[in-house]
Amino acid sequence: MNPTDLPADVVQAATTEDLLSAVRAIAQGPLALRAQAIDEGAYPEDILRQLAATGAMGAHIDRPGQPGSYMATIAAMAEAGKVCGATAFMMWCQSVCALYMDASGNPALTGERLSAHLAGQTLGGTGLSNPMKSFAQIESFLLKATPTEGGYLINGTLPWVSNLAGSHYFGAIASVAGETGQEVMFILRCDAPGVTLKGCPKFSGMEGTGTYAVQCKDLFIGADDIVANPARPYIRNIRAAFVMLQCGIAAGIAQGAIDSMWAVEEPLGHVNQFLDDRPDQLQAELDDLLARVTALAQTPYDSSNEFFIDVLNARIDGGELCLRATNSALMHQGARGYLMQSDVQRRVREAQFVAIVTPAIKHLRKEVASLCAEDMPA
Amino acid sequence: MTPQPAGEAPFLKYICNACGLIYDEAKGDPDSGLAPGTRFADIPDDWECPLCAVTKTDFSPYTPPDLGKLRAAAPGGARPTPKKGKAGVVIVGGGRAGWQMAQAIRDTDADLPITLVTACNGDVYDKPLLSVALSRQLPLDKLVRESGTQAATRLGVRLLSQTQATRICTRTNALSTTRGNQPFDELVLAHGAQVALPPCLPPELCWRVNHLEAYLKFRAAIAEKPQHIAIVGAGLIGCELANDLALAGHRVTLLDPMPTPLARWPETEAGAPVLAAWKTLPITFVGGVTIAHVKAQATDGTSLRVVTTTCGQRIEADQVLAATGLATPQRLASSAGLAWHNGIAVDASTLATSHPHIHALGDCITIDGQASRYIEPISRQAATIAAKLAARRRGAPATECPLRYEVRAAVVRVKTTSCPLTLH
Repeated sequence: MNPTDLPADVVQAATTEDLLSAVRAIAQGPLALRAQAIDEGAYPEDILRQLAATGAMGAHIDRPGQPGSYMATIAAMAEAGKVCGATAFMMWCQSVCALYMDASGNPALTGERLSAHLAGQTLGGTGLSNPMKSFAQIESFLLKATPTEGGYLINGTLPWVSNLAGSHYFGAIASVAGETGQEVMFILRCDAPGVTLKGCPKFSGMEGTGTYAVQCKDLFIGADDIVANPARPYIRNIRAAFVMLQCGIAAGIAQGAIDSMWAVEEPLGHVNQFLDDRPDQLQAELDDLLARVTALAQTPYDSSNEFFIDVLNARIDGGELCLRATNSALMHQGARGYLMQSDVQRRVREAQFVAIVTPAIKHLRKEVASLCAEDMPA
Repeated sequence: MTPQPAGEAPFLKYICNACGLIYDEAKGDPDSGLAPGTRFADIPDDWECPLCAVTKTDFSPYTPPDLGKLRAAAPGGARPTPKKGKAGVVIVGGGRAGWQMAQAIRDTDADLPITLVTACNGDVYDKPLLSVALSRQLPLDKLVRESGTQAATRLGVRLLSQTQATRICTRTNALSTTRGNQPFDELVLAHGAQVALPPCLPPELCWRVNHLEAYLKFRAAIAEKPQHIAIVGAGLIGCELANDLALAGHRVTLLDPMPTPLARWPETEAGAPVLAAWKTLPITFVGGVTIAHVKAQATDGTSLRVVTTTCGQRIEADQVLAATGLATPQRLASSAGLAWHNGIAVDASTLATSHPHIHALGDCITIDGQASRYIEPISRQAATIAAKLAARRRGAPATECPLRYEVRAAVVRVKTTSCPLTLH
């Protein structure tokens, strides 16, 4: 299927079912043909634009007359993730960037810029890996903001920001120089003066995710690009939504793995019956997890610790299920799944990515532990 | 690699804070023009990490780890994770109820895998001693009778300490913890209760001493000099702690909504004798008051707590301690959909929760809606559960309970040493 053959009516599907079938048409058509190439390094900008045009990366954003549905965005991500985990990850980048802009309350970000973003006319990502780890006291802030007239000057280098290209942008956080515990969040435009994108060393998979190190030298950020200042209260309000959306990547990869087990059931079922983690068991676990995520997705902006622990647990379970399902799929497929061209071995690496991308399983557990700890006088 | 030039400082290593790449001065970074032997200080500012492109300001000095030392520092007693189908019993809670449960199960079966998950380090101690530790001058390092690791080794228990249990999945019989999912054949909840803090008492300003770790922190905070301590709640624990702190030379203001202390036991009329006995102690009882708020106030470099009552009284104290009663945390029970009645509702004679493979004991349970948060019932509860699980492993019906638990009226001895009391 040629991407240009797509029917015109896929644009901004009206219902979740319409949305999912539009996404499925792209995923199983042009995306399936490109999944291997994306894994090896081809950034699928055209496919991402098509997916965004269906509304897949904006279904969670409230629009006039149509309340947002986090589950619709998660399900759309999963639909693509069955075929290509890297694409599901980039859909998350675009979706979470939409969340940043929408929740900013900054008219310069929520107006035309958000509309263009939701329609896929422009693409963006998220550079919150380092700040999230800084808030959790795992790393220190890599970007520094120095107040200047009308805004801030940003300096420093963020490694490994995804879904980027020359004219793209992403949500970033810098610590404000001289102000301990004070951070500012903003949209960083890759083509702004002072910004350089640097290629990354080769990863073992998911190479076509438009991932770069971003160097900032006296990058000026003005009022139009500010997402939140201070950043911490804002992050508290969107943290659950941020993590919850990632469940779509995990669900897609796990579902793809389970489907690949069924695919060999006829010829290999007589031996596969002796394996752990059979597809029906894994499907039951995945369905249970999706039922939990569906319930959580009703209140994505609940900022309570109790709710966030539930979301973190769902994300942990998604990462772990991905690892088990993709490994089991390889056991089920045997040598044919181990071929370099096989989607089965590619999914093992995609699942490993889900387990280590920020917040990684270990970070999630650390965060749960710290949220559970009793607050006591210092 | 360049050999160390004679008489010069040894070559050092630096680690990239972003990606973990190690810059070794001996090796340099020839690909970007840094010859072997290039000192970190001599690297130009525009040099980039060859892996992730941050600059040298995001590097810090690096000392390679000593593996032998790290291995030696690991806590002993690690045991292999049970294999599939042999999950055994998982116990949540490392207080008296958790350890009594482990002991009782081990007494019935020498080989059954037992995993004990606890948010603290699992050290074994007598909680009632926390109410008299000051006046009896008990050394703090002697409060622990046996470390968690020692108890685990003695009982052949796999101990997951400093581990939070956050969810029970009854579809897979697994407990989600911050150290991974723990499958179970049988689950026993012994996680206790927490001080129920009303919204007027902010947790970051008010001590609660319901377990040893919190008690030790509180003791550290009052160690330097006598303090004025406001205790909110004049029940059993509030009175015992007020008594103990006052005997140790601290000034105590004890606040309660009731007009006398220990008002929960009206027929005993314990309040008047306690107040009489306290006449010689620096304890001020302020009854019939409700706290409006507690705030921090910094004066002359010291931080005070200001307790304000709804009737406008204002008490300045060095510390505020809440003894406002206990409540069972709901997270685990509600994740498993367990019946709840002011706590985890259990059967009065079998201590089964509403799930056949989950039992519970100690401070977290209620029987007919009543909690009984005392020491005495715990060992009898543990024996009942252990006997029931042993019978079940021998093939008895799931509901068979060879040693039924008996609810007895609690006799409470109040360790107010200035006026020891027994409450019925």
